Amino acid sequence: MIADEIKLKIRDIVGSENVLDSNVDCFGYSYDSSFVPMSAENIPDLVVIPSTTKEVSAVMAIANQYGIPVTPRGTASGRTGGCIPIRGGISLALHRMTQIIELDERNMMITVEAGVRTIDVYNFCAEKGLFFPPDPASWKYSTIGGNVGENAGGMRAVKYGVTSNYVMGLEVVLADGSIINTGGKAIKNVTGYNLTQLFTGSEGTLGVITKAILRLIPMPKVRNTMQLMFPSLDNACNTIHKMLISGVVPAAAELMDKISLQAVAKHRKLDINPSIEACIVLEIDGETNEDLQEQAKKIQITANEFDVIEVRIAASQQEVDDIWAIRRGLSSAIGAMAPNRFGEDISVPRDAFPETVRLIRRIAEKNKLTIAVYGHAGDGNIHPSVLCDLSKPGEEQQVHDAIDEIFAAALSVGGTLSGEHGIGITKRPHIAKALGEAGVNTLKMVKQVFDPNGILNPGKIW
Amino acid sequence: MKNTDIQKYFKEVDDIVSQCDRCGTCLTVCPLFGVKDIESSSARGKNNIARGMIQGVVKPSAEVLDIVNFCLLCRTCVDNCPSKVKTDNAMIVIRQYFAEKNGSPGIKYKALGGLMKNRTLVKFSAGTLKILRKIGMNTLIPHGMAPSEFTRKQYLSSFAGPAALGSLAATSPIDLSNKSKVAYFKGCGMGMMFPDAVEGTLAILRTLTEPQIIDNMCCGLPHLAHGLRSDFLDMAKENISLFEKADVIVSDCASCSGTLKHIAAHFTDDPAWQERAAAFSRKIMGISEYLFQVGYKPQHRVDVKMTFHEPCHLGRGQGVRKQPRQLLTAAGKFIEMAGADNCCGGAGSFHIDYPAIAQSILDKKRINIENSGAHIVVSECPTCLVQLNKAAVQSGNKFKVMHISQVI
Ligand SMILES: Cc1cc2nc3c(=O)[nH]c(=O)nc-3n(C[C@H](O)[C@H](O)[C@H](O)COP(=O)(O)OP(=O)(O)OC[C@H]3O[C@@H](n4cnc5c(N)ncnc54)[C@H](O)[C@@H]3O)c2cc1C
Ligand code: SF4
Ligand code: SF4
Repeated sequence: MIADEIKLKIRDIVGSENVLDSNVDCFGYSYDSSFVPMSAENIPDLVVIPSTTKEVSAVMAIANQYGIPVTPRGTASGRTGGCIPIRGGISLALHRMTQIIELDERNMMITVEAGVRTIDVYNFCAEKGLFFPPDPASWKYSTIGGNVGENAGGMRAVKYGVTSNYVMGLEVVLADGSIINTGGKAIKNVTGYNLTQLFTGSEGTLGVITKAILRLIPMPKVRNTMQLMFPSLDNACNTIHKMLISGVVPAAAELMDKISLQAVAKHRKLDINPSIEACIVLEIDGETNEDLQEQAKKIQITANEFDVIEVRIAASQQEVDDIWAIRRGLSSAIGAMAPNRFGEDISVPRDAFPETVRLIRRIAEKNKLTIAVYGHAGDGNIHPSVLCDLSKPGEEQQVHDAIDEIFAAALSVGGTLSGEHGIGITKRPHIAKALGEAGVNTLKMVKQVFDPNGILNPGKIW
Repeated sequence: MKNTDIQKYFKEVDDIVSQCDRCGTCLTVCPLFGVKDIESSSARGKNNIARGMIQGVVKPSAEVLDIVNFCLLCRTCVDNCPSKVKTDNAMIVIRQYFAEKNGSPGIKYKALGGLMKNRTLVKFSAGTLKILRKIGMNTLIPHGMAPSEFTRKQYLSSFAGPAALGSLAATSPIDLSNKSKVAYFKGCGMGMMFPDAVEGTLAILRTLTEPQIIDNMCCGLPHLAHGLRSDFLDMAKENISLFEKADVIVSDCASCSGTLKHIAAHFTDDPAWQERAAAFSRKIMGISEYLFQVGYKPQHRVDVKMTFHEPCHLGRGQGVRKQPRQLLTAAGKFIEMAGADNCCGGAGSFHIDYPAIAQSILDKKRINIENSGAHIVVSECPTCLVQLNKAAVQSGNKFKVMHISQVI
């Protein structure tokens, strides 16, 4: 509960039309795109929608003074419950901070507010021939604040890296309302601790990001797409390794297992050769068309060594769109296969990809569940999707067991709990296994320094 | 309401909304979120409040009903949703649930439903207006709307010059070899507000065939949309019976044709009506869909820039997109405007219930029309025409608004 006089103060800061406090309006801010069940306890007491850093700062100062929890929120496309206000208090919705402040073409950097959508940054830069590579599949609606908050990755990570590789500096409002600027446009910068990277991936627990300076690169001139079908998952993975080692680095290398392919085939009413066990979709880019042909040829030769069944090189934009539509539609196609679906996001060293998938297969058999596996094969980021029907007695327990075992499998091959979706609420129980007691304590100590009253996104990560 | 009824409604809703992955794609396309960017405006917000209600996290209160009513049923979200969640259908079922829970959908909608169910009242639009005024819905017919309808004659005399006026008679080259019996379905909105357009539709049909004129009932969309499902079913049955002899049923209102095409879906568990409803739905065609199919050639070509506002119930509702555009390309200088398929904010009685929001949505539409440079904006739905007429006035009459049957 937030006292009326405090609500009044907050209304004075942001304007009363930018504060929601009815139960049904606030309910809309109690969930995100994770499978965290709905609960009345997750409904914030107040939704505050600021438009400027100054407003954010003033709201934080009040929250800090009265010990009110504040959970930053972009567009709630997060997959781990990060923006769910599990301790009530304020949901700080930042989607209206949508200014693109500056595009510095000479230094190849853009400065944007936290609520700008990822795709808008991409398009704005693309018009000037500049490229902002991080491309989470949610880029049409996710915000830069959310991307930085989760250190989002995407399909292009194999060649271009993830969000943190492009964050040069941040404007951050701390828990007490003070405003700091980290990093900057200087490429070499060792003045003090690297706070920019500390805030990147901090899931809204250390400060509220209000602006970001993002690095850009020149836009590749040409792109194309290839689809390769393999008789086994190992052959598919081996093709990717060999490609990467030989210096052919695709802009994206997406892998789908047989169950995923079957889901797509069913969803899109396609026929798929039954001997196919794995499919890779590649994006290649470069300076000239000859460049692309050269890469495609090399890839084809490597794939032939591993008994590729089918190689499709897109011959038109239509074909490019068709191939990617299969990959983009995958999540929904898999979702449509069962009443419930738990999508996970583990990350392993690249060469452990086939081994991890084998372990997951075994987990599926043991728990009598169907688990579809797809992921960013180029960087070892795997998305196992556990398909289930929670209305069946006992199934919920099996699902939880399977997920526990999947995390254990990831750790056993030297991997980790999350590649890009963060820890949030859903993976909290597993963090000690990944980081150890001392590791978790270190996180807690960092948190203590930035947010001594524990008001920023409490109850997350550990 | 009995517990089993609640279960039934909730199951029907849950089957739809549990498919929502809460991704957020719809936030970027829902016209309501575009003008009021809080979660409950969006499809994600609505599907999840429904879920919250079913799971007992929020109570089924008047506020929840407000959120559920705050939806254009425009299907923009459905079209863009990766999981194709039918938010509009879910909202209709919840409205039905509330109507039954509260014993009525609210005085206003009930009066509207009663009115639209009464053929005599619909026919005598003077009487209709009086009743509409009484229940405060007279804004449905904007001031001076019907008399100021821009007629085909005015259109030709202002844009085509006398020569074109004279050349109107051209008989259609189409020979309907299969002698199919074509019937005209007259929508209430068309009849009450756009008599010249109705005349236009009939004149066009007469160049092709001898259309049967049937004294039909309302298509029932207003009833269905506001929780008067049993009225909707009654009228559907009557319409099914009335049109049994026709082979093709043509409507010049996209909301009617869209609703009628989907009638079959409401009788799937009614063995007595299932077959007949399906047969009825199969016969329905929108006017431009029909004319395109039979190869109709517009009666005149006029040297005027025109653009098309695609009604939600036509494009997303029925997949009819290219037909009206091709007809217009033959009838004048057709230009595609930006966002032609964006909802105009009319949405049945939405623009009456939420005038400010509807106005913001309409403003966007008006700007797109103005930017297209078109002199005429054409559509195929009376509610859209009402909205567009408002936009025309607001733009200082930079463009005229016409039904497709008046320009082809
Ligand atoms: C269909 C789908 C596909 C996805 N694909 C990918 C993918 O390919 N790669 C990937 O990495 N992720 C993916 N995601 C997950 C998600 O989209 C990303 O995590 C995204 O970065 C979240 O952005 P958001 O604006 O929705 O943030 P939210 O979900 O609102 O918030 C996420 C976290 O960031 C914090 N936060 C948000 N804004 C700020 C701020 N301004 N300051 C401080 N903290 C803040 C929140 O407190 C929360 O902890 C996907 C999600 C969906 C639904
Ligand atoms: S786009 Fe569809 S699945 Fe995504 S949030 Fe909206 S309704 Fe739900
Ligand atoms: S039907 Fe239209 S108004 Fe309703 S939620 Fe979907 S997009 Fe929004």
